Amino acid sequence: MADERDLAERFDHYLDALINGGRPSPDDVGNPDEAGMARTAAELAAAASVAQSGAPAADPDPAFVEQLRLRMRQADQAIASVQVSLPVRGARPPAPAEPAGQLTRIRVSRRGLLQAGIGAAAGLAAGALGIAALRPQSRSRTLLGGDSPLIKGPGFWQAVAPLANVPPGGALRFTTASFAGYVVNDNGEVRTLSSVCTHMGCTLYYRPDWKDLRCPCHGASFDLNGQLANGRDRWKQTGGYNGDASAYPVSLPDLARPTVMVRDGQIYVWTAQI
Amino acid sequence: MATTPEQPSDSPAAEAPGRGLFEEIYEAQVVPIYRFIYARVGNAPDAEDLTAQVFMRAVEQLDTTRDMGQIVSWLYRVGQNAIADYWRAFYRLPVIGTDQVGAGWEPADTSERSGPEASRERSGAGEDRARKQVDSLLRRLPANYRRVLELRFIQRLSVAETADEMGITRGNAKVLQYRALRKAALVGEAADG
Repeated sequence: MADERDLAERFDHYLDALINGGRPSPDDVGNPDEAGMARTAAELAAAASVAQSGAPAADPDPAFVEQLRLRMRQADQAIASVQVSLPVRGARPPAPAEPAGQLTRIRVSRRGLLQAGIGAAAGLAAGALGIAALRPQSRSRTLLGGDSPLIKGPGFWQAVAPLANVPPGGALRFTTASFAGYVVNDNGEVRTLSSVCTHMGCTLYYRPDWKDLRCPCHGASFDLNGQLANGRDRWKQTGGYNGDASAYPVSLPDLARPTVMVRDGQIYVWTAQI
Repeated sequence: MATTPEQPSDSPAAEAPGRGLFEEIYEAQVVPIYRFIYARVGNAPDAEDLTAQVFMRAVEQLDTTRDMGQIVSWLYRVGQNAIADYWRAFYRLPVIGTDQVGAGWEPADTSERSGPEASRERSGAGEDRARKQVDSLLRRLPANYRRVLELRFIQRLSVAETADEMGITRGNAKVLQYRALRKAALVGEAADG
């Protein structure tokens, strides 16, 4: 049966990867029956490799154990060290810089602002409450990411930190009345990024070594442009991501990036008033 | 704002109580959790990935004030969910399921034993047990199915070598291993009840 031959041909890709100790791809598994077969094959391969090796069990590579220990320590410290600065209304908002002049001219519909507000509220609530709060995912997805009126709407410059507090390579989490994010000093270039993962709203943590914002819930990594850095597409281009064992399985909207300005040694973030 | 002098974030003294315990848990559990996962996904890259998921989640969510038995069963439950999510990708359903992992301190399902004793059992008593497992599965298959799986999985021959060994074409070897696994999956299901 030609049909079965094709299936068997494709499924052999799965098996080859598995038997050679590589990572098999779900793309080589075409239907639920084959998924059951893949699972059986995986269990068989595991048991066979243990029986074969003479070792009591399949033990992890010591290098992996060490690497994971470091990753955990780093994440642990990042979580422990996160300090949220209270929103401080700049006593004297600086004379609007050029970007502000442009931005305030952008007309935003009331409805747009309202939606942005809902998105922000959902994001903040989700960040605070963890996973449970997130039912209306498709809705919050579009609202949490990208350039919403939350970013571009009329507002004011809010001082979030002295530049001296964010040395090159460093990051600082801040909150404003409408926004929670990080200021990152990317070797002199100051960027701001939302700290809310666009998947389910978990709070991202900054990893200085990888220069990314990482989600503790499912391991999404966002680069300093706010784009998913370890998604499948990017993974294919780059052949991997910073020690991750697999690509992030879904694509995500970009992180929101409020406009930022440094003036007189102070970092200001554009804060839309909603 | 970033780091005040009173709170140097990277000094051990500033760590919350229980953080040290955390590494202890890691030391004690990383190998058993890895084995548990490896036995179910069958390859090291994915096993490493899922093991990392379990412990990275633990960094965020684990309540280190719980007693060790509860902590261990929490880790296994997260591991089980990670494995379920992994296989879900192969069924072409949404990969990411967070709903099963809740706050998650409720007693474990009684049908699935938890705790250190169960974990020893789960990670397998080693080589003999693994061999028995393979044998018992293979024994229930027709001879040519058993043969092709033995050559491929136990002797780790390539399809070409397997075909030569069995005196069949490569195409037929692929079809044979495909049918053998389909049968094995059915047999395994029946055995699991």
